[in-house]
Amino acid sequence: MHIPVVFMGGQYNHLIVRALKEIGASSRIILPNTSLEALKGVDGLVMGGGPYSVYEGTEKFGNALEIIEKAQFPILGICLSHQLIGKALGGEVVKGRKPEYGKATVEVLDPDEILQGVGSEFEVWASHNDEVKWKEGARFKILAKSVYCHIEALKGIDKPVYGVQFHVEVADTPKGKDILKNFTSLCKK
Amino acid sequence: MPGSNAFDPASFVEEKVEEIRVLVGSGRAAIATSGGVDSTACASLAHRALGGKLICFFMDTGFMREGEVGEVVKLLSLLNLPMKVISAKDRFLKDLEGKADAEAKRLAFRQTFYTLLGEAAREEGCDVLIQGTIAPDWIETSGGIKTQHNVLEQLGVDTKKTFGFRLLEPLLDLYKDQVRALAEYLGANVEASQRQPFPGPGLLVRCIGEVNEDKVEALRVATKVVEEELGKLSPAPKQYLAAIVEDDRVPAKEGAKESVSGVLKGAKVEYFKGLATGVKGDNRAYGKMALVSGEAREPSEIFDLPEKIVHNDGEVVRVLYNIHARMPATKTGKYAVIVRSVETRDFMTVKPTHVPLKLLKRIAERVLEEDSVSRVCYDLTSKPPATVEYE
Repeated sequence: MHIPVVFMGGQYNHLIVRALKEIGASSRIILPNTSLEALKGVDGLVMGGGPYSVYEGTEKFGNALEIIEKAQFPILGICLSHQLIGKALGGEVVKGRKPEYGKATVEVLDPDEILQGVGSEFEVWASHNDEVKWKEGARFKILAKSVYCHIEALKGIDKPVYGVQFHVEVADTPKGKDILKNFTSLCKK
Repeated sequence: MPGSNAFDPASFVEEKVEEIRVLVGSGRAAIATSGGVDSTACASLAHRALGGKLICFFMDTGFMREGEVGEVVKLLSLLNLPMKVISAKDRFLKDLEGKADAEAKRLAFRQTFYTLLGEAAREEGCDVLIQGTIAPDWIETSGGIKTQHNVLEQLGVDTKKTFGFRLLEPLLDLYKDQVRALAEYLGANVEASQRQPFPGPGLLVRCIGEVNEDKVEALRVATKVVEEELGKLSPAPKQYLAAIVEDDRVPAKEGAKESVSGVLKGAKVEYFKGLATGVKGDNRAYGKMALVSGEAREPSEIFDLPEKIVHNDGEVVRVLYNIHARMPATKTGKYAVIVRSVETRDFMTVKPTHVPLKLLKRIAERVLEEDSVSRVCYDLTSKPPATVEYE
C-alpha cells in the first residue's frame, strides 16, 4: 500500500512518513506541485501542516486544492491541510478565537470511520492559529471539536476526504497512530 | 509492534559505510564531534568506513559543561580515533561580544566554528567534513524556527567555497531515538548514547541575551546541580538542563494575574526583559518569558498555567514558575536560573516533567549558593509553544 505525504512546509511532515511506515504502508515525501496525474496508482494521500494561512493566498499550495477537489482516492489533511480541505469543501478559514499550542482535548461528535476506537474524548497535540469555520452549503460534516476550536475533525459529504486540525503524527498524540491506521484501512477498500 | 519498515541499525550501517567510502574516495575526512550522541554515533560510523583516513576534531568553545572537555577526550579515545582539540574559548567570546539577539548569536557562533574547523581540517589534508546532522536539525532550520549551527547546505551555503570543504551528513534522515539505537548498535557507545543531549553551541544557547564569562560560569555551576539532582529521578527525565537570564522584569500584560488566580494564591505575573525562542503553528516565535509566582492550591495544577498565560497574551512563548528568590534586602545576585526538564520520544514535541516541588526547592537552595544568582524558576512550557532550548 503506497500513501505519499505532501510536504506543506511543516516541521512534522516527515513524522507522517515515519508513522505510516511504522504501520506497514510505504510512503515518501512529495511536493505540492506534484500533479494529480502523477499520483495515479496511489492508495491514498496525506497532506501535512505548514506555516501559512489559507486566507493569505493559495499560490504556495501548488496543486493541493485541485487534488482535493478531483482525486478519487482517500485524502487526509493535517492542520494547514485540514484547513485547505475545509475551504475546498465550501467552508471558511479564519483566525481562531484562541490559538492552541501543545496539549488539547478533543471531543468526538461523530466518530465516522476515521475516529473509530479513540473514545468520546481524547488528548491531542496541536499547534495552530487558524481554524475552519462552517458556512451554509459546505460539503463536509463536523466529526470533532475542542473547547477552543469548533472543527477539530471533518469529513467530506460526498467523498473520502478527511481533515484533522491536530497532529496525529506526533508522539504526544497517543491515539494518533490509531487514527492513521483507520485512514490506511480506508485506503485499502 | 513496529512494522517491517521499522529502523534497522544493521542494514543502515551497511548501506552508509559503503556510501561514505565511495563519497570520500582516496582523500581524507574530518569529523567534528562534541561527544553528544549524534556526533559520536556519526564518528563511530565514519570510522568503520574510513579507518585511519578519518581525523576527529573537538572544538573547545568555552561553552562546555564542567569537566566536559576531559570527558569527551576520554570517550573519543575509547573509539581509537586520531583526535585533535581546537582551543577557541577566547575567540568565541570575542566574536559574540555585544550580541543579544538569539539568531545573531547563532550565526556568529556558526561562522567562527566553521572558519576554525575549516582551517584545522585543511592543515591535516582533509577536504571532506562529515557531521552528524539529524532530521530535526534541518527541519527546524528550513522551517525557519531557528538556525542550527550544523545546518549549512540545506540553507544554500556552499561549504566548499565558503569554508573549503565538502560536507557529508550520513544521519540526515534519522530522528533522535533512531540515533540512540544506532549508537548502541555500534557498540562501546553506551555511555555516549545515554548522555544528556547537549547542543553544539553548548551553554551559549542557554545563556539568554548577551554572553560574558561570569554569566557562563554561573550557568555552568547551575547546570551541574540540575544534572546531579534531576538525574536521581526514577525514571530519569528525557532531558534536563539549566538556562540563565538577567533577573530584570517588567509588569505583565493586563489580565495575566486574574487568569491564574484560580490556580495560585497570591498570584503575581511578570515578564523577563530577555526574550526566548519558541514555535507556534509551524512558525518561529521569538517572544516573552512570563514569570509566575504564588502558592499553588493544587501542585499538579501549575502545569495548566502556560495555557492561561498564553491565551491572555499571544506574545508569550514560555511560562516559568518561581521556585525561590532571595529576599530583596539580601539580594546580591543579578541572574535568574531556569530549570527545564522534558519528556519526549523524538524532541519534535515535548511535555514538561512533573518534577516534585520539594526537589525543585532543593535545587533552588543549592543554585542560590552561587552569589551571582538571585532567583530560580521552573519552565512549565510544552513544545509548542516553546522549544527545548532557549535560543
